[in-house]
Amino acid sequence: MAFQRIFTEQDGLGPLFNIDGVSCAECHEDPVVGGVGNEVETHATRFVPPNSCDPLFDEGGPVIQQDATSLLKAKGILKEEIPARATGQAHRSSPPLFGFGLIDLIPEKAILAYEDPDDKDKDGISGRANRTIDGRVGRFGRKAAVATLFEFNAGAFPAEMGVTTPLSPKEETINGRPVPPDADPATDPEVSQLDIQRVTNFIRFLAVPAPKLPIEHAAAEQVERGKKLFSDIQCARCHVPELKTGPSEIAALDRKPVALYSDLLLHDMGPELADICLDGATPAEFRTEMLMGLRLREKFLHDGSAESVQKAIERHAAEARKARDAFIALSDKDKEALLAFLQTI
Amino acid sequence: MKNLIFALITSMTAVSGQTDPAAEVQQLKTDLIGHTMGGREKTWKFQSLEQIKDLVITQKTEAGPLRLYLITLELQDPRVTGKYRAQAQVRYEKVDTRWTIESVGLTSMTKLE
Repeated sequence: MAFQRIFTEQDGLGPLFNIDGVSCAECHEDPVVGGVGNEVETHATRFVPPNSCDPLFDEGGPVIQQDATSLLKAKGILKEEIPARATGQAHRSSPPLFGFGLIDLIPEKAILAYEDPDDKDKDGISGRANRTIDGRVGRFGRKAAVATLFEFNAGAFPAEMGVTTPLSPKEETINGRPVPPDADPATDPEVSQLDIQRVTNFIRFLAVPAPKLPIEHAAAEQVERGKKLFSDIQCARCHVPELKTGPSEIAALDRKPVALYSDLLLHDMGPELADICLDGATPAEFRTEMLMGLRLREKFLHDGSAESVQKAIERHAAEARKARDAFIALSDKDKEALLAFLQTI
Repeated sequence: MKNLIFALITSMTAVSGQTDPAAEVQQLKTDLIGHTMGGREKTWKFQSLEQIKDLVITQKTEAGPLRLYLITLELQDPRVTGKYRAQAQVRYEKVDTRWTIESVGLTSMTKLE
């Protein structure tokens, strides 16, 4: 299966790639194929305030590959470096891919309906859609800089595994320098457009994990109370519990509710979490993290730096400050209820 | 009948028969609409002629039913601020009598402003 195909340097891997990035499944594996991974990758871009972002494509950005094939290592190149012109770097964990086929089909207008860039309702939460470099509404990636699932996958082959495709038929550079001769024996493109489509089709039909609701009465009541608190303290203002897909010829995807717990918009999360810009997203802005499959994760936040859900909540700031403060002010019993609810998602 | 003749002429001159460089560039621009190159953050989907600020053919090769253009582009979408220079490979395939784009491969991209 294309998603689980293991690449070697003889058939396309590298010469630069990300640690463990020998197959899609290597970084999306837990608890089943398509799930989370423990890999954390490095990104870097250049931000010039107030709103100019250079993804440093020609210097190796935004994904800075951290490993190399033996052929490249033999030439003394072990990985890519952070470009000198970068103003910020970031770490990114591998998210679970369940439900991404449904996310792909949420209409742009459904996302834009939640925008409030000037905070007209004065609730302290703005929210705006990111735009890809070609002007479309972004939704995939922690900065919502990618418009479609197919395009994310088409880019993952070269960026994560160093595998060329018909859409990216030339090996990525090494911080802007060409790959040395003899370091890449495979003929380009190293996969076909059909391979990208196969991977996309596999991900498209990975279902959102069903809620894991407790059977015991007291536990069920606790979860129900936590669900209400999630809404009462305004978590649900950005972590919108449900959006709906648009029309699709595929019945399983056609106008279906998606319990994603995200508005797919960018929100300012404050200076502590700020890292890189990407397209229209400033360093402090992140797409509301999708919480579907949350219980399958062991590390939290976009970079995997929070060891628990509670610690991740406590690091929310800026637009999320009021909700965070409201969480901190909850009684221990209510905090437990809210966290118990989150563990059902 | 008039429309049919026009369509036939358009089809026959579509890139393959172009001898006028300006017309060939224009045909390439038109053919690119709807195609996507690159991937992830480095994706460009050609949505309108307005996005293609400049297109220069740097090389053209043809072998049997395949034709390959190497082109340099300046791209900017009116909805966002960035302007980009891109190099791409445009691969055409001749199906029956008509040349159609089989793939557009992004080979490099730089943000200009």
